[in-house]
Amino acid sequence: MNMRRTLAFTKRSLMQFRHDKRTLAFVLIMPLVMMLVFGYAFGGDPKDLDIAIINDDMGMTTPTGMELSFADAIIGNLDDETYVIHYYDDWDTAKLDLQEAEVWAIFAFPANFTSNMFMNFAMNGTETSIIEVDIDDSNPNLAGSLMQGLQDALVETQEELMIQLNIPPDAAPMSVQTSKEYGDAMEIEFIDYFAPGIVSYSIIMVTVMISIILFVGERREGTLQRLLVSPASESEIVIGYAMAFGVIGLLQSIVILSAAILVFDINIAGSVFLALFVIIILAIGHQGLGLLLSSAAKNELQAIQFIPLIVFPSVLLAGLFWPVQSIPRILQPLAHIIPLKYGIDAERSIMLRGWGVAEVWPELTILILFAILTLSATIILLKKRQ
Amino acid sequence: MNVIETKDLCKNYDELKAVNKLNLNVRQGEVYGLLGPNGSGKTTTIKMLTGLILASTGSASILGHKIPSKLVLNDIGYMPQETAIYLENTVHENIQLFGEIYGLTKAEIKVREVELLDFVDLSHRRNSIASTLSGGMKHRLSLACAMIHRPKLLFLDEPTVGVDPELRALFWEYFEKMAADNITVLITTHYMDEANNCTRVGLMKEGELIAEDEPHLLMESTGTKTLEEAFLALARRCD
Repeated sequence: MNMRRTLAFTKRSLMQFRHDKRTLAFVLIMPLVMMLVFGYAFGGDPKDLDIAIINDDMGMTTPTGMELSFADAIIGNLDDETYVIHYYDDWDTAKLDLQEAEVWAIFAFPANFTSNMFMNFAMNGTETSIIEVDIDDSNPNLAGSLMQGLQDALVETQEELMIQLNIPPDAAPMSVQTSKEYGDAMEIEFIDYFAPGIVSYSIIMVTVMISIILFVGERREGTLQRLLVSPASESEIVIGYAMAFGVIGLLQSIVILSAAILVFDINIAGSVFLALFVIIILAIGHQGLGLLLSSAAKNELQAIQFIPLIVFPSVLLAGLFWPVQSIPRILQPLAHIIPLKYGIDAERSIMLRGWGVAEVWPELTILILFAILTLSATIILLKKRQ
Repeated sequence: MNVIETKDLCKNYDELKAVNKLNLNVRQGEVYGLLGPNGSGKTTTIKMLTGLILASTGSASILGHKIPSKLVLNDIGYMPQETAIYLENTVHENIQLFGEIYGLTKAEIKVREVELLDFVDLSHRRNSIASTLSGGMKHRLSLACAMIHRPKLLFLDEPTVGVDPELRALFWEYFEKMAADNITVLITTHYMDEANNCTRVGLMKEGELIAEDEPHLLMESTGTKTLEEAFLALARRCD
């Protein structure tokens, strides 16, 4: 392979991007827009969620004469940015509104809520105070946030009461339960979890789209035929392209990771360079896929018909929004043949868990093999003469 | 010396015989015109000779090498029917790319670029993006890219399609200049009138070479005044 010729193809492709400002803007800004849109749409804390509260708590007067209502205290500690509280008198009416999506959740405090809590807390009783909870499950993330907010209010109230009642910090915790539980709330914010996926996804989408269209253009404009009649080998042409897309992928990932850090305050626990490297390999592999698919298209219109083929399985199955384990079992094997899954897994491990090459090498190997496979297949296809 | 020789060259697509038993001999330094209506097999012939597609049967040699062969690629130039230039790159970048592909040094590319842009009258547009050039200018740039490495043999597939008459005349001047430099040119066209400028022409019909000679001899032998009439007379004889 002649390196000078290979670099000539890389340089030409990069110069094309430099002159074609609109395409360059698309390549760099599109992932950024996706990051911002997804980030704001999914990443922020939910706000102004209507909830129903049924407060039957009778409260109590302590032996020292102090008026107590734990339910009022907990309600008062619910974050007023997250919740819009509507008071209800009975469960049935609240339940009806929950079913009609008028409210996201019902928190009901029973009449003996304070007394049970106090007996348990201050007098070493065994009663348990239970907050009855019902939640609209249609959005698991929202449901998680609603429960997390209630837990936060509960913890805050307990801490306040411990001070108020002079209970030492090492005393047994108050026994308050919610009737419904949602797995352990994530320590990390949703955007942190989501960002590695969206970084990978937006880059592969733009890369596949642009490489398919550019290579179909090469065939249609006759430049590819001209190259195939020149001393340039098929490998030089394909590797030249791949290197150009590697550079583009690097620029894209710098832009998008900067946005993620600056706008969404995302923490990258691991090596930024490793995160960038994974994205570049992912971009090169998908550029190869784009070139491969372009050979099956006669024009740009046919070419863009391939985009949904890549986009939808990737969005739905690669673990972008939810873990692969949560998709129907019958579809799970499909997820394992989607290269984006390995990109997202690696990026998540690097960015969130702080893993290095020693831990993410399986994903990295799969991505490198995918790149080698798609580029080799393209080279073989180009070598094939009718 | 024959620069191109084919022996019973055939290309079949299922039942269709796109090129049928073509025996072609093109001599060094001549402008050889392959003439014929659309679908007569001209482009298929060029694609086989350049190695873009493989012959079904028969054989061919280019510059003494049996094809397909990588050995000839440095010595041939090819201008496809399409403009085949990078439209989002500048004129200079296009020339430079093809210069580097053919292994010219930076200094050689610099000299050659000046010569070629002067030759195709595009020196004033050196830094223009190719997509901003007129149709004729794009064709001229395409020709310059095909000539950057001083090929011994140039394949030009319908280079004058969609080109205005003035530019077509200019193109033929170029081709004659090349022949004077001992460059062999194989050109396909379906414009019969302009083929008068060729040293020799081969007339193709339905994949077969129905006649081959110097234009004036073809007209004399058929008792016609134009190549078009000669083609029609020869085509009738074949039917």
